[in-house]
Amino acid sequence: MTDVYVLGVGMTQFGKHPDKTAADLGASSLTEAIADAGIDPRLVEAAYCGHVFQGMVTGQRILAQVGLAGLPLSNVENACSSGATAIREASLAIRAGEHDVVAAIGTEHLTNRFAGALTPDKSDPEAAVGATMPGVYAMRARRYMEEFGMTREQLAMVAVKNKQNAAMNPLAHFRKTITVDDVLASRPIADPLNLLDCSPVTDGSATAILVSGDVAERLGNGRAIRLAASTLRTGTVDVEPTSMTFEPLTRDTANDAFERAGVGPGDVDFAEVHDCFSIAEVLRVEGLGLFPQGEYPAAVERGEASLGGRLPVNPSGGLLGKGHPLGGTGVAQVVEVVRQLRGEAGDRQIEGARVGLAHCRGGKAVGIEGAACTVQILVK
Amino acid sequence: MTAHDVAPEVAPEVAPEVAPAPESFRPGELEIEPDGTGHLLGSRCRSCGAHFFPIRQACSGCLSSDLETVRLTGSGTVYTYTVIRQSTPAFAVPYALGYVDLPEGVRVMGQIAAEPDDLAIGMEVELAVEPFGTDGDGNPVLGYRFRPEVTS
Repeated sequence: MTDVYVLGVGMTQFGKHPDKTAADLGASSLTEAIADAGIDPRLVEAAYCGHVFQGMVTGQRILAQVGLAGLPLSNVENACSSGATAIREASLAIRAGEHDVVAAIGTEHLTNRFAGALTPDKSDPEAAVGATMPGVYAMRARRYMEEFGMTREQLAMVAVKNKQNAAMNPLAHFRKTITVDDVLASRPIADPLNLLDCSPVTDGSATAILVSGDVAERLGNGRAIRLAASTLRTGTVDVEPTSMTFEPLTRDTANDAFERAGVGPGDVDFAEVHDCFSIAEVLRVEGLGLFPQGEYPAAVERGEASLGGRLPVNPSGGLLGKGHPLGGTGVAQVVEVVRQLRGEAGDRQIEGARVGLAHCRGGKAVGIEGAACTVQILVK
Repeated sequence: MTAHDVAPEVAPEVAPEVAPAPESFRPGELEIEPDGTGHLLGSRCRSCGAHFFPIRQACSGCLSSDLETVRLTGSGTVYTYTVIRQSTPAFAVPYALGYVDLPEGVRVMGQIAAEPDDLAIGMEVELAVEPFGTDGDGNPVLGYRFRPEVTS
């Protein structure tokens, strides 16, 4: 089986794009990624497009705009892991030997789709009693504070850290630094979470061009980054109520990836993790095994997860700072990892980084711990 | 012509217009008795005894599909909670929401009818059937909330 490499990446400005559609944004990131790969667009053999709320055949609308209609394309939906799932599907097509050059696109135009709190699908029994996504994470935060003694200030520091990173990312939705007091004074959304604990409603797109080892060798110019693992899991149905302060789904998806990549949590130099809410970063980082359970909040307070710290988390600004265009998010994480490993991350550059990890978790379905979880490990 | 086609000489007594009793917002999950009380419906695995909410088609523990629908105990313990202050237009804010662990080993989400300051992890609550908005046609429906258990 061939190795898979990321040869080109592209990403639009994240933010509000009232004059554009998800397909417009997708076409922009795809064009940029092909140019970044330095290849003739006609070499692209297939494409996958991750999005959640953009309607039928959004991916085909993208190809039509850039002159690549005719390729096999599948639209994939896995809630907030949709873009990451597109990357996994693209990598499988290459590993299977079916294609050598595949585009993985993630896109979402969210500001014209909804405002306010995201909820599970309306068919879900929990949505029927008033569940919101911030509410579910707020409940997990409450429980985590009770079990591990995390302070409200420590939780706010996650948002402060990520906004600080976003301030150094020209493509981020928010580029203003904030303080712990700002977080605590922002509008309550679901106790104990406030507005600045929540990722924003964002439009944006990102694309990665994945290629086989053979193509990377011939056309890579030394810029190709190896996608050493791309794993996906669905949460299990709880037979007994289980802890909501630890994520077996994240742990298991990561362990699949570590095994495939031949590295362990101790080898990871930095991580992009799914911080849809401040508490989510805590749960994810501990689920990934990057910090022991119960210890991440204090580590954030000590600066260990900041740029320049022992293990920077969300150097791009994360979902909290960079923004969270659902389908675009998983691909944008990989864009950041690739740019870091290439040494192209500007002010956010992590010196000497060799192994980067990206984690997404999407969706809520009653009775299961989480819907779709992905982990990508990229190695320089 | 048959007798049935003959108009009656006296108009039959017209039943007074009574609005039909509100029904369960989700009959497959909340069963309501004529006296207005209700039960959550779950699945019990006949093979290994595991319980699930809502109803499942197979047991995720042993994969048996030999499941029976059972009424779940209407009281439990709050595992965690929040007060929702921003929601969809279908729900007036603020409202308390929690996960409640039932004795069968099932965790159920529901609103908790209590003041924010009275909420606590570990508090005992019981199921109550209450008016719960309207259905797609605008008819009032009944749903459930958890209320702090009254100790006598």
